[in-house]
Amino acid sequence: MRDYETVYIFDNQIPEERINEKLDRYHGLLTQAGAEITAIDHWGRRQLTYPIRKQASGYYVVAQFKSDTGQLPEYERLLKLDEELLRYLVVLHEGEPSAPMSIATRAPREDDDDGEEED
Amino acid sequence: MARPAKQCPFCESGIRAVNYKDENTLRRLVTEQGKLLPRRMTGMCARHQRQVGTSVKRARYLALLPYVKGYQD
Repeated sequence: MRDYETVYIFDNQIPEERINEKLDRYHGLLTQAGAEITAIDHWGRRQLTYPIRKQASGYYVVAQFKSDTGQLPEYERLLKLDEELLRYLVVLHEGEPSAPMSIATRAPREDDDDGEEED
Repeated sequence: MARPAKQCPFCESGIRAVNYKDENTLRRLVTEQGKLLPRRMTGMCARHQRQVGTSVKRARYLALLPYVKGYQD
């Protein structure tokens, strides 16, 4: 099991219920295989800094989960096939918060020492 | 002669991992055109500068930071 984090950028024109349905479908695929969704954070609509598929804004969702590696190719395939998902990014989760917080506002973390692989 | 060593802003605030979703912080670490600032400008330690590099690239892909400035503004 490893910690992952996915950022989804959905087409802004689709209604929120559709987005939730889609998220359920993606995450259903993962949980079926024994993964555990630890956090879902809806950032909501925001301006894109450059247009993607001629869209100026998108609906951002950040999800964090623990999963085995085996399930990921199929999960990513599902994301790739979705036309209404403008963009997605799946990365290993290193313990950053899911919100786009700045240094100034962030409280010091307690679990400072895990996830440490360097040295 | 020797300049006092600049302190790494991330180490100073006790942050281990740079967050690629934190565009406001990352914005301060790139030029006006959106290029990465060198370490001699940011005063960052090697490890955090490395993390900033990856973070900026991820943020660009997610349209949080521009690849090139000048699309809308």
